[in-house]
Amino acid sequence: MARTKVLLVDDEVEFASALAERLQMRNYDAQAVYSAEDAITVARSNPPDVMLLDLKMPVMSGMEVLKYLKQYIPDIKVIMLTGHGTVDEGPEGKSGDIFDYAMKPIDINELIEKIEKAKQKHAGN
Amino acid sequence: MAQRAEQTEPVSKFEKIYGFLSRHFNDILNFLSRDRYKILKVISINGIFSTIPLFIVIIVSSVWLQDIFIEDFSNKWKWELENTHRSIESFVDRKQSAVSFLASALSYEQLMDPMAMRTLLTKFKNEYKDLVDLGVIDADGIQVVYEGPYNLQGKDYSNQEWFNSVVVRGRHLTDVFMGYRMLPHFAIAIKKDLPERKTFVILRATIDLETLKRLINGINLKGNDDAFIINHEGILQTNSRSHGKVLEKFALPMSLPEQGPWFGEIPRFWKERYFFGYTHIKGTPWIFTVIVKSPPKSIIIEILRNKLILFFAGLSIVIGIIMNLWMARTVMQWVKEAEQRKEAAVAESEHANKLASIGRLAAGVAHEINNPLAIINETAGLMRDIIEDSEDFENKKKFLKLVGGISDSVNRAKTITHRLLGFARRMDVTPEVIDLNDTIREVVGFLEKEFLYRSIHLELNLDENLPKVKIDRGQLQQVFLNIINNALDAVKEGGTIDVTSEVKDSKTIHVVISDSGDGIPKDLLTHIFDPFFTTKDKGKGTGLGLSISYGIMKKLEGTILVESEVNKGTKFTIEIPRKPHIF
Repeated sequence: MARTKVLLVDDEVEFASALAERLQMRNYDAQAVYSAEDAITVARSNPPDVMLLDLKMPVMSGMEVLKYLKQYIPDIKVIMLTGHGTVDEGPEGKSGDIFDYAMKPIDINELIEKIEKAKQKHAGN
Repeated sequence: MAQRAEQTEPVSKFEKIYGFLSRHFNDILNFLSRDRYKILKVISINGIFSTIPLFIVIIVSSVWLQDIFIEDFSNKWKWELENTHRSIESFVDRKQSAVSFLASALSYEQLMDPMAMRTLLTKFKNEYKDLVDLGVIDADGIQVVYEGPYNLQGKDYSNQEWFNSVVVRGRHLTDVFMGYRMLPHFAIAIKKDLPERKTFVILRATIDLETLKRLINGINLKGNDDAFIINHEGILQTNSRSHGKVLEKFALPMSLPEQGPWFGEIPRFWKERYFFGYTHIKGTPWIFTVIVKSPPKSIIIEILRNKLILFFAGLSIVIGIIMNLWMARTVMQWVKEAEQRKEAAVAESEHANKLASIGRLAAGVAHEINNPLAIINETAGLMRDIIEDSEDFENKKKFLKLVGGISDSVNRAKTITHRLLGFARRMDVTPEVIDLNDTIREVVGFLEKEFLYRSIHLELNLDENLPKVKIDRGQLQQVFLNIINNALDAVKEGGTIDVTSEVKDSKTIHVVISDSGDGIPKDLLTHIFDPFFTTKDKGKGTGLGLSISYGIMKKLEGTILVESEVNKGTKFTIEIPRKPHIF
C-alpha cells in the first residue's frame, strides 16, 4: 500500500523538519519545505495527498499559496497550521477551500487523525 | 522612673478636652465633610430660602396689622378724650347755668341778705354737692356777702384777673388757683347788673376740685398711664400721677394748636415710648391731657400669646423641618446615586479599555509564543519518538520522563496562550433560542465527576417556568463553566455550591452561583475581573477566566455582579438580558 504523501510547509525550519520526521516515523511520506515558493514548486511537480500549510508566512501567506495551487490541483486537501489559537482569525480565515485546521503547538495524534480524514476525502475524489 | 512620674501627674479637664480634640480632630473634620454636613448645609439653605417668603409675609402682615392696631388704639383714646371732654364741658355748663340762673333770679336784696344766702346755699348744695361756697362781690371787688366754710367775708378781689374779666365779659370760669383760702379751687363768677342802682354785683360760686378729679378718673388708666387737666400755660389744674401736683408746671411735649381731640405717639420725649393725647375743653381755659405709657403690645407678641396659633406655628415648624430633612436626604441620595452611576460607568469604561488593550497585547504575545512552543513541542516529540524506537537507549526511562516533562510544560503554556487568544479574539455572537436551565445542567454535567470526587454538594434551584432566551449558547456555557470552576476551586471538600435561576424582572434573568468557600477580601474583590488576576496557587489559574466571562457577558448585553464575605463565601450573579428576545 502506497504511503500517504504529506507536504509540510512552514518557514520555521526546526518545527517543519521535526514534524516531518515524526510523520515519517509514523509511516508517512512526509516532506518539509520552508517557503511558499518551494511549496508551490514541489506541490506542482509532485502533488501531495495532504498538504500541511502554515497560515502566516513571509512573502506569501498560506491562504495565497492555497489559492494559487487550487488553480493547478483543484482537489488538493489542505490542513492549515496556525499559531493564532483559533481558526477564524483574519478575513480569509473561513475559506471553504481549507479541509481543516491545526493549532500550534500541535498534538501529533490529533494531526494524524486530521491527515487520515483528509486522505480519505482525497481518495474519495 | 522619671517617665513613670510624668505619667501619674494629674491631668486637668482642659487638658483632657484638648487632648481629645487633638486626637479626634481629623475624625471631626471627616464627619463635617461627609454627607451629614452636606445634608445640614442643604437643610439650612433650603430652610432659609423656603422660609424667607414666610418671614416676609409675617413681617409685612405684622407691620400692617400693627398700624391697624395702633389706629384702633388711637381711636379708642380719642373717644375717651372726647367723652371726658363732654363730661367736663357738661359739668361746667350746668354749673354756669345754675349760677347764672341764681344771679338773674335773685333780687339785690335777696343777694345781700346773708340768711337768704345761707338758705339758698343749703338748698343749692342738695342739688349740686360739689358747690363749696357762694359769695357776692360788689363793684369795688369786696366780698360783701359770703356763705361757706371759710372766713372770706370782706375780702378784696379787685386786683384779681378773674374780677376784671367778669366785669368786662359778664361771666368767668377761673383757672384753678389758691386764693385767700390757700387751697386749690376754681370758681364761676356771674355779673348781675343793677341799673336802678347804677352799679353791679358779682355772684361767685366756688366748685370743689375733687369733682374734676372724679370726672378724669372715669378713664380707665393702666400702669404708668396719666390723665390730668392743664391750662393754656401748661399749669396743672389737677394732680398728675407722674408729672407734678396741681398748679405745678407741666413740660409740654408739643404745642397744642388743635381743638382736639388729638392722640398720637411722641417719639422718645421722655426716653421711653409713649402716646400723648389732648383736647381743649370748650368754654373753659382747660386742656384735658392723657399720657399713655402702656402702648399696645406688639401684634406678634399678641399672636404668640394665643396658644392655638402657637400650636399650629410649632406644628408648621416641625412639619417644615421634617420636610426639609426628607427633601435634603432625597436630594443627597439622588446626587449620591448619580455620582455612583457615573463612577461605575467610568470604571466600566476604563475596565473595557484595559481589557481591549491587554487583549491586543496578549494576542500578539500568544501568537509569537505559539511558534517557538510548536518548535519545542515537535523537537521534544521527535526526541520521544526516537527514544521509544531505540530498544537499547541508555537511561531510556529517565529520558522519556524528561521529555514528558517538556511536553507537559508545553501543554501548560499552550493552554495559557490559547486562552489569551480566546480572550482577545473578536467573538462573533451566534444567538439561538435556548433553555437556560438546560444550559446550566449541561455545564454542571461536565463537572459532575469533580463534584463527586471532592464530595461537594451541588444544589440546583432552577425556576422551571424560566422563559427561553435568544443568546449565544457556547459563550454562555463558557461563562457558567468559568464561574462554577472557580467555585469548585474555592470550596473545601464537603462544601456546597448553589446554582439558582430566576426571573429578576421583565428585562432580566438572574443565574446566581454561590459557594461556601473562604470568600474574597474586600480589597481583592475590585480586581477579580482584571486580566491575569488570580488568587489560586501558582500554575492553577491563568487569571483570565473571569475577565473572559466578564467580556462575554458585556458582549451579550448582560453583566456579572459579585458579592463576597470572608469565611462565608462568594456569590456571582449573572444578569442575562431578556430583551429584545422575549419568548
